[in-house]
Amino acid sequence: MKVSQVVATLSHVPGVVAAMVVGAADGLIVETSAMLGATDGGSDPRKHTAALAAYLYAKVTRASDAARLGKPAFMRLEAEMGHICVVGARDVVLVTIVTPDANLGRVRLDMMTAAKGDL
Amino acid sequence: MTDPTVAEAWVAAPLRRLKEDARLISGVLLYPTGRAVGQFGFSNAADVMSICALTSAINASSRELGRQLDGKPFYELHHAGADRQVFMARATSGGQEFLFVGVFDRESSLGVVEIYFAEFQKALEKLRPEKQVPVPGPSGDFEGELNRSLDALFGPIGKR
Repeated sequence: MKVSQVVATLSHVPGVVAAMVVGAADGLIVETSAMLGATDGGSDPRKHTAALAAYLYAKVTRASDAARLGKPAFMRLEAEMGHICVVGARDVVLVTIVTPDANLGRVRLDMMTAAKGDL
Repeated sequence: MTDPTVAEAWVAAPLRRLKEDARLISGVLLYPTGRAVGQFGFSNAADVMSICALTSAINASSRELGRQLDGKPFYELHHAGADRQVFMARATSGGQEFLFVGVFDRESSLGVVEIYFAEFQKALEKLRPEKQVPVPGPSGDFEGELNRSLDALFGPIGKR
């Protein structure tokens, strides 16, 4: 599956506000969907979210390795106004910003399916 | 990690924040002329002198390269080495241009450095004193300017 297809597929999952493919090492956005509900004048959180989510995922990977649990399969950060979900796929990480009422099972399944494809 | 040493006090807080947030190993803030404004991660004035000279030269050549290729100067330069990476960028504060060069490793990433550098730029703009320290333009005495700024950072030679 192409990177653009992954982003398009994930961004259509109900509750996904933004879907991104991000470089695992540099935290830079490779491909991103539009930010759902974003206004022209408002600040765009995607760049910050991408860089910090990739950074956090790298730390979680080290923690998981230190605990001898192997690679993390799925990372979800629950916040007051939603979730950030991250899945690793070789050189990239898939990052989604999700609303609090989203179907997280569906988001998780779709992200992990996308990560298993040929990204 | 040591606190930044600065030639102009107002840059100390933004530099410290950048160092901590972006998890930089070392960094130097300087004027495009090569005069150092602040640094962290270095204990040797000669190292800072070399970095200032090289950064100033790299900025001049990459700026011209940008003009030739793209019609405008490049703003940012990144080099990824085997273990460490170098990030170099320009920042402006009320019309005054600065250069910053920072070094990081796998404890950080280019994306993280970029976002905190953007915040650093905003802080420079916000904290810039009303009465600016007069910055002399290139006087032709490049070595003298470098030495004066290093004296401000590390103390005069003999006392370093």
